[in-house]
Amino acid sequence: MKDLKELKKIEEFSNQCMKCGFCSFFCPVYQEEKMETSVARGKNFLVKQILAGQQEFTPEMADIIGKCLLCKRCAANCPAKTQIDRVVVAARAQLVKEKGLGAIKNFAFRKVMANRKAFGKYARLMQKFQWMMPTTEGKIKHLPDFVKGLGKRNFPSLSKTFLRDQVKPVYKPQNGEKPKMRVGFFMGCATDFVYPELGLKLIDFLTRHGVEVVVPEDQNCCGAAIYFSGDLETGRMLADLNIKAFKDLNVDYIVTACGTCSSTLKDYQKYLPDTEEQKERYTEFEKKIKDSTEFVIDILKIPPQDFKLRKEFEGKTVTWHDPCHLVRYQNIKDQPRAILKALKGIKYVEMPNADMCCGMGGSFSVYHYDLTKKIAGKKMDGIKATGADIVVTACPGCMINLIDNVLLNKMPQKVHHFLELVE
Amino acid sequence: MLKESLISEFQKIVGKDNVLTAPEAMKAYSYDGTTSWIHEPDVVIFPTTTDEVSRIMKLANAEKIPVTPRGGGTNVSGGSVPWHGGIVLAMTRMNKIIKVDKENLTATVEPGVVLQDLTLRLMKDGLFFPPDPQSFLGATMGGIISENAGGPACVKYGVTKQYILGIEVVLPTGEVVHLGGRTLKNVVGYDLLHIFISAEGTLGVITGAELKLNPLPLAKKTLCVVYDDVAVAGESVYHVLENGVIPDKIELIDNWVINRIEEMMPIGLPKDADACLLFEVDGIPEAVEKEAEKIAEITKKYGAKEVRVAKDADDANKYWMARRAGFAAVFGKAKTVFAEDVTVPRGNIPKLINRCKELAKKYNLEIVVLGHAGDGNLHPAILTDINNKEHYDRALKAMDAIIEGAVEFGGVLSGEHGIGLEKQKFMKKVTEPAVINMMKNIKALIDPNNIMNPGKIWE
Repeated sequence: MKDLKELKKIEEFSNQCMKCGFCSFFCPVYQEEKMETSVARGKNFLVKQILAGQQEFTPEMADIIGKCLLCKRCAANCPAKTQIDRVVVAARAQLVKEKGLGAIKNFAFRKVMANRKAFGKYARLMQKFQWMMPTTEGKIKHLPDFVKGLGKRNFPSLSKTFLRDQVKPVYKPQNGEKPKMRVGFFMGCATDFVYPELGLKLIDFLTRHGVEVVVPEDQNCCGAAIYFSGDLETGRMLADLNIKAFKDLNVDYIVTACGTCSSTLKDYQKYLPDTEEQKERYTEFEKKIKDSTEFVIDILKIPPQDFKLRKEFEGKTVTWHDPCHLVRYQNIKDQPRAILKALKGIKYVEMPNADMCCGMGGSFSVYHYDLTKKIAGKKMDGIKATGADIVVTACPGCMINLIDNVLLNKMPQKVHHFLELVE
Repeated sequence: MLKESLISEFQKIVGKDNVLTAPEAMKAYSYDGTTSWIHEPDVVIFPTTTDEVSRIMKLANAEKIPVTPRGGGTNVSGGSVPWHGGIVLAMTRMNKIIKVDKENLTATVEPGVVLQDLTLRLMKDGLFFPPDPQSFLGATMGGIISENAGGPACVKYGVTKQYILGIEVVLPTGEVVHLGGRTLKNVVGYDLLHIFISAEGTLGVITGAELKLNPLPLAKKTLCVVYDDVAVAGESVYHVLENGVIPDKIELIDNWVINRIEEMMPIGLPKDADACLLFEVDGIPEAVEKEAEKIAEITKKYGAKEVRVAKDADDANKYWMARRAGFAAVFGKAKTVFAEDVTVPRGNIPKLINRCKELAKKYNLEIVVLGHAGDGNLHPAILTDINNKEHYDRALKAMDAIIEGAVEFGGVLSGEHGIGLEKQKFMKKVTEPAVINMMKNIKALIDPNNIMNPGKIWE
């Protein structure tokens, strides 16, 4: 009998599925492909077949479990409460155990992303050469024609100066008074390399509200793309590094401006533990993590009407896109809406499919760009229906994908993080 | 296994992307919503037009390859499981809502349209399709018609067959026929339309349907009525109806379900209550108010312990969420569940409930009673474990006895799930041989090579 350790961990979740098929209605991938291997019920059935020794990790099988956005829309609506996200991640982990990561992921995850210095070095290298990429508009570039195979993807350029090179280790409250709390800032890769101004904005916002902010230098990538791809080993290594980075700083909370990072840090305890000791340590870490959206409302308790709109957004109509990692992974949906609804000077319109995944799904969009575009297309229809000038969200990952698809669809909307809207 | 050359013929008809042959895909099309009926097809084909279906059927008929049409695969009878292998005709990519006709209150749809998608579309025009199988999130119109599905709203609105004006069908020979039409009245010859409705895909492939719609009711109200005795709850159903109120839903949940609901999502149902009835009335606001009052009055008069009226839509929704969660809870609490679908004339509901209770005691089993009390369609669920032979055998005996009871009380063995694979052995027991013969003759006439969903309905 094969060692199916990773799958054994989730066998009880897998058994919960009663095959009602309701997941099909909520699955963005199924809605495009309309086939049973796309949807949670089909994937779960096949995982159970592996557990029963009746299915191998064939290339088709790998493709099937790879083709999931992990948006958790099915899980959130499952009458049997099957945690299919855990089944999918475990299946990917089992696959990695059996077949390895493959050369590209092995290099990207273990040689680059798992090492802060190396990641910075490669990002800087790419930054130096990105002038070669054609410009779509402003800071947005796209892939040149000669790599057409990858699609004409639009992406924001890497920043000239990364956030890591701009931050100080400690920021005192701006009023010069004794800090009301001490908070660790977790930057995350997208904020570090693409949106450093977002990180500075959060630090500025927090220190203006009497918070002391510390930024440990040895923090790493949160590990989302890595452990959701099934590389739990590297995931655990990053988890341990990140926990260590904040350990002795004596912070009350750890705050980030990236919805994916906050959920990933919180969920170390869910997807990664191999031992009880790890489970305990990751659970302890989870308690400190706060997404910027929940931190300003739930912890700082800033009344929504006290937020001030930045001048340039005066008179605009805005709508909110729920990142999967906020709305379903962390149940954060009311806080950002409260702020946007209370902001004077803008009009807030709810999007019809606000909680629908934008189609990015981390590395999903790398491998299934056509599907990403189709799924994002539905999101775009929702955005159009609102008549909004600005799409607001709180996840740089979503922002990058929304920008790409707004441009592909020749739409006028701009995409912003909620922190960019407020003073 | 099918010949390579045939597969490439199918690929020529529908395109490569619409033909699946990988073993993994075959596994994913080996099941439906039931627990234990599993069989793999040899190929899965996704047609996108009636013409493609016709060409596939011609080929299949010539080669005598079994064809099992499949929509959302949410059915709970084994109906869409390809029991003899061959082709699964996955209709999910034929999913266009072709027309919504407000003037005539009709809609024209392709078979792969999911009921909930239709509901959302019709809402924009203030319309709805009344049959409400609770699998509406995944069930497709083709399957709903083929199973003649129904749901809670049957009390007032009836089942699918009352809302199908016409269908387009591809016969096993590949011939395309149109049965019924677009009018409310239609008596042109034999009513062949209704032979295809509930045929469980054994006669042909439905490729289009003309639906009859209703305007959305302007108001709704929900009442939760609490009982000390589940049989008294059963009696209440016909007392309400005989007093002139036709609610659109009357759902029953028993003590076991009440307690599971209170564990999962407490909404303050009394845990010691033997049963609750959930009523919903709909219509014009004034009438709805009056009808709700009347239900409260009648149920109190006939032994209800307590009547709760939902304050608003959110409050009402809470009860209906609980009802749905209750059903899910049944499946979560046992390895194997027999979800029965027996239906009796409404007046005999108390008798059937009492019979279930006796059987639970006799065989020392947990038998949960919930279902559509308003139309006599109960879903007694027996909790068991297929791996525990002794327990499982007792459960089987109890299931037989429940079905015998239903028939004894003038009922039928399936109200809305169909026969498929799951109920075959009972079909024979409760249907006159001459009737089965007639059905088989009709099948042979339309499908001489027995390629359409073979292995279903009859053993």
